[in-house]
Amino acid sequence: MKAMIEYIARSLVEKPEAVVVNEFRSGDRVRLELSVAREDMGRVIGKSGRVANAIRTLLRVAAEREGVQATLDVLEP
Amino acid sequence: MEQRTTLEIIAPSVEQAISQGLSQLGLPAEAVEVEVLDAGSKGLFGLGGRQVRVRLTVKASDLQEAPAASGSIPEPQPAPVKPASAPPVEDPMLALAEQTVSTLLHHLRLTAQVAARYGEKDRENRTIIQVDIHGDDLGVLIGRRSETLNALQHIASLIVSKQTQQWVHLIVDVEGYRSRRERQLRHMARRMAEQAVKTGRRQVLEPMTAAERRIVHLELRNHPAVTTESIGEEPARKVTIIPKKS
Repeated sequence: MKAMIEYIARSLVEKPEAVVVNEFRSGDRVRLELSVAREDMGRVIGKSGRVANAIRTLLRVAAEREGVQATLDVLEP
Repeated sequence: MEQRTTLEIIAPSVEQAISQGLSQLGLPAEAVEVEVLDAGSKGLFGLGGRQVRVRLTVKASDLQEAPAASGSIPEPQPAPVKPASAPPVEDPMLALAEQTVSTLLHHLRLTAQVAARYGEKDRENRTIIQVDIHGDDLGVLIGRRSETLNALQHIASLIVSKQTQQWVHLIVDVEGYRSRRERQLRHMARRMAEQAVKTGRRQVLEPMTAAERRIVHLELRNHPAVTTESIGEEPARKVTIIPKKS
């Protein structure tokens, strides 16, 4: 899941080297925190959050297949 | 028959691509063959630079499913790095579309065949690439009201557009789901139109995506006895079929 978020984010931004994903697990819950360069925020969030929500939809499928629940937060730089 | 599993990776450097690929596959470097498909480029002022593209092929002897009885097992070799000249001539944009969708599927732990071809350009003359996915147990990939498939399509379109620096729209389909759904929607549109005419009451359809609503509007565009309009807010926007006043 972390690798998927990293792949998507790095493929969408101008500064892939600034992409950081942190994963916090507790039991069957996984929280992923994505940070990108300030100027790339719009690229991973999208108009009214469309991009971030599409990423979350894919994350939900990946999480279901691992039997966990996952959430994704895009952190403010 | 030799069974092969391949994975294509885009990354800023060949080393990163290989290590990313190996960690995705969970295999050591000796278990795969590495082929550099695109050595990338720097681009002007850091803009427009292409990332490198690497294909990892799992050696047959390392596939757990590979039957041991099928005669000669290839000798384990150190992963040779071949130059980009070897692969067969293929359209780089289609290759990128296939690879992007394959990589996303791989992250979803789905195995499937992915094939891309050019579709007709859209009304604004933008490039459309049709990507068809075939495989077993891909229902999970469609999701409720094709939510997952649409998310995959959206993200893959953005990635291909970003990498090629032009607006490319991918239409991603699984086992012909979208074309079946389109036929179903057309059929339902005509049936509900009949219903509207018969009862004299407007018929409100279930919420649909913009692409699906468009199919319904187009199907009934020339209907003599009804008009259509969309009401409500996304994602609950619905088509209503309204009988014309006689």
